[in-house]
Amino acid sequence: MKSPQTNPLLPSIHLDAGLEIGYGSPLARFGQAVILGGGTHFLLARNGRGKTTLLRTLARTLKPVAGHFGMEGFTQYLPEDLRFDAEITPAMVFRMLLPKARLQDALDLAGRIELDVKKPYGRLSTGNRRKTNLLVAELSVKPDSGNILLLDEPFSGLDAFARQVFEEIWHASSTNVLRLVSCHPDYDSMEMPSALMIEDHNARYLNGHAQTWSQLKTLLN
Amino acid sequence: MRLFRLTLATIFQRKAWVICVLAVVVLPFALPLLSSATEKPLLVQPARILASWDTLWICAVIWGLFTAAREGEANAQSGRGEYFLTTGISATRQLFEIWLAVFCFLAVLTSLTALICQFAAAPADPVERTMWWVLNTQYVVLFLLVISPLLALATALASRFGGITGFAVTLGITLYGLYGVGYLDNLLKLEHHPMLHSLWLFSPQYRFADLTQRLYFKSGALPASAFWTMTLYFVGILAVYTGLSRLCFRTKLSS
Repeated sequence: MKSPQTNPLLPSIHLDAGLEIGYGSPLARFGQAVILGGGTHFLLARNGRGKTTLLRTLARTLKPVAGHFGMEGFTQYLPEDLRFDAEITPAMVFRMLLPKARLQDALDLAGRIELDVKKPYGRLSTGNRRKTNLLVAELSVKPDSGNILLLDEPFSGLDAFARQVFEEIWHASSTNVLRLVSCHPDYDSMEMPSALMIEDHNARYLNGHAQTWSQLKTLLN
Repeated sequence: MRLFRLTLATIFQRKAWVICVLAVVVLPFALPLLSSATEKPLLVQPARILASWDTLWICAVIWGLFTAAREGEANAQSGRGEYFLTTGISATRQLFEIWLAVFCFLAVLTSLTALICQFAAAPADPVERTMWWVLNTQYVVLFLLVISPLLALATALASRFGGITGFAVTLGITLYGLYGVGYLDNLLKLEHHPMLHSLWLFSPQYRFADLTQRLYFKSGALPASAFWTMTLYFVGILAVYTGLSRLCFRTKLSS
């Protein structure tokens, strides 16, 4: 268990012991209570073990099978298969969905990660679509309150440079944004100081400053 | 209103609305030139009335319902509905915002039709002319009252059963309400049938909202009492369809 947040304006997720997730029958169960605060937390499991199910449960678009949990903060759940209309451009998506004050930031960031904002969404590559979706979520974060971003495999299709840029953003906003990121890391040295792991129908929390993917992947069955 | 703005931009970007605007603006002037009205100038204005309102009905029933259904289906299947739901935009609100975006385009088309009818097909007689704008306004109100709940129903059905179902069912209801009920009415006048009579009682009588013939024959504005009775009747249908739409609407695919 991680040390709890004390400031109510900071984001937090409280997962009670006995929380069970799944579609009718339980996919995974939390044996111990877990409290997550601001920062990036990785959600690790093999395919079909319940990563998306946990994210959807926390996003309250799916009911837990049993148990309770609590969330503090403005929540956004970014589904892996989120997509916009094929004819609309990323620039239009940003204009329609982001606050005016953040529009220029979005366009600047898009330029930095080489996202062509004038190209129709339907003609963008998988990685560029993912960049568009991530930009919408990241720039919809409310600066004056706690935020929770539930990101389902945001890295798939993303190039290493863009991924690094987003990781820098995550690091800079770790105080008021809690990110729970499901992913399948592709390099062993990736640091994962805070991770939720689902294996053998059990969900547990693992933390440690020197914790890396190479250590954690041996625990996945 | 993020979803409203996104839906509005999406429909705008697809540009199919341009065809509807062109049809609504051009056909009332072009079609009378192809008809016998060219030989009898007296028939030009009635032909223009027919062309303008019939074009609007066709655009609303085909493009409007199709667009509403497509947006409802896309919202549920693309993950957008689920995303917006987690940001605090409830299912009811999502349905309203999608409906409003489609309605905005139809409201513009309706206004264009009414303006053409008012300024390019008004009768010369001053008495008839004074009633013209009243009848036009009545028609606009009744038309929008009929089409609005159908848009919501198309969106909601499409979100649950797919775009084709959403479009086909609402198209069927509209055509039945405009024409089928009339045939049923005639049938019942010839022979009483309790089952058909019950069906007729619960059928949406959209034909009453079609005031094209009233404009065509210059019959004057609807009496206030008749207009308010019809308004109440269509508001009732709107309430029923709104409830049904909310029950049917969903923001994501089933788990």
